[in-house]
Amino acid sequence: MGRKAQKNDSLPGSLDMLILRTLSRRDLHGYGIVQFIQQSSDNELLVEEGSLYPALQRLELNGWIDGVWGMTSNNRRARIYKITTAGRKQLAVETRKYSKLTLAIARVMGAE
Amino acid sequence: MTDMLRRLRYWIKSARRSEELREEMELHLTEKAAELQADGMTAECARAEARRRFGNVGLKQEESREIWITRFWSELGQDVRYGCRTMTANKAFSALAVLLLALGIGANTAIYSFMESILLRSLPVADPESLVVLNWHSRPPQKDGGQWVVHGLQGLFWPGDTGNLVSGIFPYPAFETLREENPVFSTLFGYFNGHNCNLAIRGQAMIAGTEYVTGEYFRGLAVSPAAGRLIDSEDDRAGAAPVAVISFATSQNRFGEPANAIGQPILVDNIPFTVIGVAPPEFFGVDPAEAPDLYLPLHTNLLVDGARAARLYSDGNFYWIEMMGRLRPGVSTAQAQAELAPRFHQWVATTATTDGERVKLPALILNPGAAGLGSLRRKYSKPLYVLLMMAGLILAITCANIANLLLARAAARRREMAVRLSLGAGRFRVVRQLLTESLMLASLGGTLGVLFAIWGVRALTFLLSNGRENFTLHAELNWNVLGVTAALSVVCGLFFGLAPAIQSTGSDVMPALKNGRGGGRRRRGQHVLVVAQIAISFLILVAAGLFVRTLDKLHSIPLGYTREHILLFTVNAHQAGHRDREMATFYENLRKRFESIPGVSGVTLSGSSIISAGMAGGAYRGPIKIGAVTIQGVGVMAAGPRFLTTMQIPILAGREIDDRDQPDSTPVAVISEQLARTYFGNENPVGRRITFVDDKRDLEIAGVSANLRYGSLKEGSPMTVFVAASQFSPDRVTYALRTAGDPLRYVKSVHEIVQEADPHIPVTNVVTQAAEIDRTISQEVTFAKLSTGFAVLALLIACVGLYGTVSYNVARQVGEIGIRMALGAQRGAVVWMVLRRVLLLAGVGLAISVPAALSASRLVKSFLFETQPNDPGSLALAGVVLLSAAILAGYAPARRASRIDPLAALRHE
Repeated sequence: MGRKAQKNDSLPGSLDMLILRTLSRRDLHGYGIVQFIQQSSDNELLVEEGSLYPALQRLELNGWIDGVWGMTSNNRRARIYKITTAGRKQLAVETRKYSKLTLAIARVMGAE
Repeated sequence: MTDMLRRLRYWIKSARRSEELREEMELHLTEKAAELQADGMTAECARAEARRRFGNVGLKQEESREIWITRFWSELGQDVRYGCRTMTANKAFSALAVLLLALGIGANTAIYSFMESILLRSLPVADPESLVVLNWHSRPPQKDGGQWVVHGLQGLFWPGDTGNLVSGIFPYPAFETLREENPVFSTLFGYFNGHNCNLAIRGQAMIAGTEYVTGEYFRGLAVSPAAGRLIDSEDDRAGAAPVAVISFATSQNRFGEPANAIGQPILVDNIPFTVIGVAPPEFFGVDPAEAPDLYLPLHTNLLVDGARAARLYSDGNFYWIEMMGRLRPGVSTAQAQAELAPRFHQWVATTATTDGERVKLPALILNPGAAGLGSLRRKYSKPLYVLLMMAGLILAITCANIANLLLARAAARRREMAVRLSLGAGRFRVVRQLLTESLMLASLGGTLGVLFAIWGVRALTFLLSNGRENFTLHAELNWNVLGVTAALSVVCGLFFGLAPAIQSTGSDVMPALKNGRGGGRRRRGQHVLVVAQIAISFLILVAAGLFVRTLDKLHSIPLGYTREHILLFTVNAHQAGHRDREMATFYENLRKRFESIPGVSGVTLSGSSIISAGMAGGAYRGPIKIGAVTIQGVGVMAAGPRFLTTMQIPILAGREIDDRDQPDSTPVAVISEQLARTYFGNENPVGRRITFVDDKRDLEIAGVSANLRYGSLKEGSPMTVFVAASQFSPDRVTYALRTAGDPLRYVKSVHEIVQEADPHIPVTNVVTQAAEIDRTISQEVTFAKLSTGFAVLALLIACVGLYGTVSYNVARQVGEIGIRMALGAQRGAVVWMVLRRVLLLAGVGLAISVPAALSASRLVKSFLFETQPNDPGSLALAGVVLLSAAILAGYAPARRASRIDPLAALRHE
């Protein structure tokens, strides 16, 4: 039954990182997360909606986020996700990794 | 660890969690739809668009679940549940498949368990691998003038590989020579089978299997006593105090427990011995075919057998003692053989006196001794191989049939698979589900197979022992074997499940969705499987035919004497101390007392029963002289008064042996017709003389009997001489009582009379003549019964396969048949169209199988009696039975085809 801890995509645009970042601002339910990412990226980033739920499960399994049942702004029962302390640490790690990577890419692209 | 706990918690609440997930996704879709609607879409469009953007909801749900629990297990659970549902939906199919597999697995496991216990099981002693059995082989003495260094023997020979004789008996001086300073054996020990002795314990007599063993025997086998001590070198010399070791079972039966037996006096053939020890419970000596009750030091046969035995110890040409050695650590069997063979050769050369003897000296060979002596192996291994082969064929048919059923079912479910594929199921997922179903069938079959195996082992023990009381071969269910067979069934399920599964999930789902009736490739696969089943069934049918015919031939052998209403039993007064004149009188008095039992119309006695005379040996072995002619190999039987009348053997001339023949009167003989014809032609032999050369005895021929099967049923010789028991005085006699009604009703009276005459004499081998005769052909009976059973089973399986295939084909061709009938085809023509294919399949199967049967049947040649392996009758019968069964199996679907309503069929199309 053993399966290794869920691996994160280390590519830029990693969905996990985006979710964690979103949740570090405020607690949200699934659909809210998708909308937030879309809006804050000026509709540049379109989250493949179906893939969101496996990702949420993965993050929850790793103990980075926590889901509880609550109410949405328009009074619907929904599972609201919160970021945990471990999640914040992970976000820091991912952010560092990400900025290193984008920096490296920018250097390559700028080295003419 | 916390990770594991989280997973576990999830697993427990999995049903609720997946419900929650569904709700979450549902909410997502609703909100999305609401947003799209707000942008101006209609409600319906918005909903569809939301779904489209989301992707495959089911798949995403599965992926999400997979994050928590390995998907494998959750899907397995689903598959198993689904499998159970399909199995209950197709009860007939599932029951059939499971039953077939169980039968195949059970039969194979039972037979193989037997083989293992006979062929491979080691002796229950320490380090059995280092034991070797000493044998020798030699050219048979009949060649090159009949001179042989073996002048006398007491023991067994068996044929070796290259026409040589092989044996395990040696002269005692050979044992002494090999025992001296042996560099390859840590111990060399000898033994010989003393057969049945009269063992009297506290005045109660019983028959005990006896093994004479040298002083090194127990040390060499590394056995420790259950009580007391075992025989050692001090006990095994002429003049030592007579001591005995008894088996654990005997100590329990006779003394209550082993410790009570130590120091107790016992009588062995009326000679006093003292029990010094009890063998451990699991120990049965060195021959798995025997389980001695009594172990005596070798040299005590001087006491028990008297002067006869004394000569054995110094005679270098009398072969009687068997040997086993324990290799020193690090010495291989080959090294030991290289060391000992020249030594034995050197010794045996000194015992040869003529050139004729020197050209065929026995040569020593060492055989592995871990499994003990090979008598059982020689007797049963070949029959068991044949049975295993048949059971293996049954398993093959079973697998083919299940494959066929799975193929047919896969075809029937093609539509279902196509629907599932087009709804987005992964191809692997569908294949896996089909595999799970076949594996479930296989495991169910395997479980039931365990039951069949347990019954099978019991049934085989019963069949092989065939009523013998002291059958020592007790096979237990071998779990390793069962494991292998069960694994085989699982692999079979996997393999045969895989092919149709992959086929039915082929890339192009559209044709399947459109009409759901199968395609061409699968039909060919099915046909191959049906042909294979028919071919294999034919093989088994032929085997059954041959064995049944053999049994039939054996049953129709004219015995020449009666088999009904005769009770046989054996009494040995010699072992209880009776001797000479007194013994003869004792036997005669006993005979008269049996005559007084109400319902007994005649009593006679003889050296042995007629059928077992070949094994027991006659009253005289050796050349007989009639006039100037010397004859070998005539059966001589010591018979009491009115033997011929009691056995209903016609008297052709003169008289039979009767009360006139007393020890002091003229020795007389009654010869068989064949003997009389051969040596006296048309002259009357009555009053003429015959001579027993070795005994230097002249006998007067008193009468001529009709011919009879003397000795075994198969090789019985019609050359027979009856002599008077009163004049030849056998040590033990077999009484024959001619009774009214069931002979076994008189057993109690017989026991009472013998007990009254001498309580130290047990009555043994109590059996009816009919049972005694049947016992000698028990193997043939077993083979005929089992192979008939197998043949019926094979035929049944093959017919089911054929029926299934034909039905499937008919169902597939409904449209075609409908058109034909609409165009005016007669019902008969339709039936013929279907049956033609059945016959074609059967014909192809036969064409493959006949040559195979012809070559394979040679393997069973040695089990046949007056039946040729290529017996045309058996082949023809098997062919006819098979074809009729095939037609029968094909007729039902053919009839169904002819009843098709063209209109309905065409509308369906």
